[in-house]
Amino acid sequence: MLKVEELSKNYGDFVAVDNISFESGKGTVFGLLGPNGAGKSTTINCVSGLMQPTSGHASVAGHDVVSDGKAARQNLGVVPQEIALYEDLPAVENLRYWGKAYGLRGADLESRVRDVLEYIGLGDRAKDLPKEFSGGMKRRLNFGCGIVHRPPVILLDEPTVGVDPQSRARLFDMVEAERDAGACILYTTHYMEEAERLCDSLAIIDHGKLIAQGTVDQLRAKLGARDVLQLSGHFPVDETKRAIEALVDGGNQDLEFIAQEEESITLTLSQASQHLPAIFKAVSAAGGNVTETSLRSPNLETLFLLLTGTELRE
Amino acid sequence: MSFALTSFKKDLARWRQDVMSTLIWISIPLMIGGLITALMGSDVKPHGVLLMVDQDESFLSELIAGAYSAGELGELISVEKTTLEEGTERINEGDASGLLIIPEGFGDAFLNSEPVTLTLKTNPSQTILPGIITNVTEILLDAGFYAHQLFGDEIDLIKNLGDEPSDAVVGAMAIAIQNKMESVAPQLFPPIIDVEIVEPPPTEPTPPLALLFLPGIILMSVMFSANGIAGDWWREREQGTLRRLVFAPGQLGGFVVGKAMAAAVIIGLVGGLTLLLGFLYHGISWAKLPSSLIWISISGVALFSWFAALQMLFSNQKTASIISSMLLFPLLMVGGSFFPLAVLPGWIAAIGRASPNGFVAHRLTLEITAEGAWSIVASDWLIVIAAAVAGLSICAWRLKSGFARA
Repeated sequence: MLKVEELSKNYGDFVAVDNISFESGKGTVFGLLGPNGAGKSTTINCVSGLMQPTSGHASVAGHDVVSDGKAARQNLGVVPQEIALYEDLPAVENLRYWGKAYGLRGADLESRVRDVLEYIGLGDRAKDLPKEFSGGMKRRLNFGCGIVHRPPVILLDEPTVGVDPQSRARLFDMVEAERDAGACILYTTHYMEEAERLCDSLAIIDHGKLIAQGTVDQLRAKLGARDVLQLSGHFPVDETKRAIEALVDGGNQDLEFIAQEEESITLTLSQASQHLPAIFKAVSAAGGNVTETSLRSPNLETLFLLLTGTELRE
Repeated sequence: MSFALTSFKKDLARWRQDVMSTLIWISIPLMIGGLITALMGSDVKPHGVLLMVDQDESFLSELIAGAYSAGELGELISVEKTTLEEGTERINEGDASGLLIIPEGFGDAFLNSEPVTLTLKTNPSQTILPGIITNVTEILLDAGFYAHQLFGDEIDLIKNLGDEPSDAVVGAMAIAIQNKMESVAPQLFPPIIDVEIVEPPPTEPTPPLALLFLPGIILMSVMFSANGIAGDWWREREQGTLRRLVFAPGQLGGFVVGKAMAAAVIIGLVGGLTLLLGFLYHGISWAKLPSSLIWISISGVALFSWFAALQMLFSNQKTASIISSMLLFPLLMVGGSFFPLAVLPGWIAAIGRASPNGFVAHRLTLEITAEGAWSIVASDWLIVIAAAVAGLSICAWRLKSGFARA
């Protein structure tokens, strides 16, 4: 349903999206994960026809977004990151308007608008103006406007930014309902827990490049069973490095440096809690001073840290 | 076309939520128009007061007082007799158009052909009425001089008459005056000089000044509303709906047409209300209302489209709004909204008529002052339609070229 092939987008010398490819089918949620500025929104903009890619192709339901843009857009529902509603038009009129923009008319439109209003939990607020709504209600209406025309492919660009937990849970339910109804969903986020809950497969993007891709299980397998240990404090760079290497040579074969700076060290190893005393001892002997310790079990966030050496939310 | 109608209805529904803007668009021009009409209403004639200090209190001084308030002059000037002190105080305070002092002995001096001075002080803050008073005074003095030349003997005789002249003397004097009148009558009635009056070719009657203000006032409300509605492109962009629109398949054209239709209706209603009040006040033929209304609605769309095109060229809403407003007021000034083009100096009026709103106002003036309705020529209709199409095309181009995506 959604296919992206060797897509690139440049702004002068700056490469926002660098030769990325992925594919997603009917009834699946494909996650595009990455920190802010990684290239997620640019990818969405190229797929939605808002921007023209510098090179490569994207197609929606078999229609190329550039050469057959109108048909591609007809099959696409976009829920933009920013709220995009007529604040001075009642909720029901917003849905009607966007339904008509995608060609719905008459009884079909009215029936669909009614269904969507109930679906997004605004049935009793249909005639109220969005400017009177809470942030979560606006998000839900924003979602409703993107799906009112029953698109087979839905692009969700960070739909839960600034949303309260209750509304977030409701949005998750709606995404899952759309997937179960057969929609192909491209979901961008920088919240790993969202991706882990919702996505059947995902790609991790950073600095415009896809650095990992697969199902959640496949990506977890890449990390193995290793924990991520992050030490904060003050660490002489060379001495600390030598001390850690000595630990590896001394039998901790899967101990691996991910990142090292003067004020933090990030390591990955199996069953890290058992090795903490030895690590502390080696770091202290090298002249380091540990003020804070963070031990995390394997997840997508630690995978991102492993792959990029930086925190996802930086 | 179907989506254009949807977009049109959407904009009208949104407009209904913003009553305050509409009230401002209507009330400011009406307020200015009301003030101007109150100051320069078509039925109001200037009226002044001539203060007269009659220190002579003779038959001749009474005759002069009567001359200022006789006939049509009396509609313009009221004569108030006063004392020298009060008269001087009032004229110094600007409380009258003029102060005429007739000195004691004026009548005798006239009869004796002796020099005498009448003092006339005028109010420098007024222009028309003091000028009229000065001219009338000069005419009266000239009349006195010629009367003296013509009836010098009779005046001498009157001067030397006792308190009770005999009927024979009075009769002789009457016959003498009659004879002199008969001798000069051929020159005076009709005059000896044959004057051929060449009448200028008939010109169209000049409409009252207050009526000439009307098109400018209407255009003010049209300009305010056109500029205000043009800002809606930016409002849509800020709330993300333009961006969402770009995702929808092939609806940009319908969206632009819908906006133009909504602008036509809103401007038509706002301008139409001003127009209606103007028609009622000035008693303009109702037959001209449809043509005037359609003219301002179409012209309003053209103005709206160019304000929008201009605003869409800038990188942020604040700059767009400031530039647009900065352009609005000079255009109103030069385009005849504050001073009718007909009363502006020729070269300014020429610039005004070439300005977009001046062009529209000038044609509207022709329409409401012409003999019949639909007097605006076809080429002018085509010009405003072409301007609207061109402006809307630029708006559509800006939507496609990135305005909606930002």
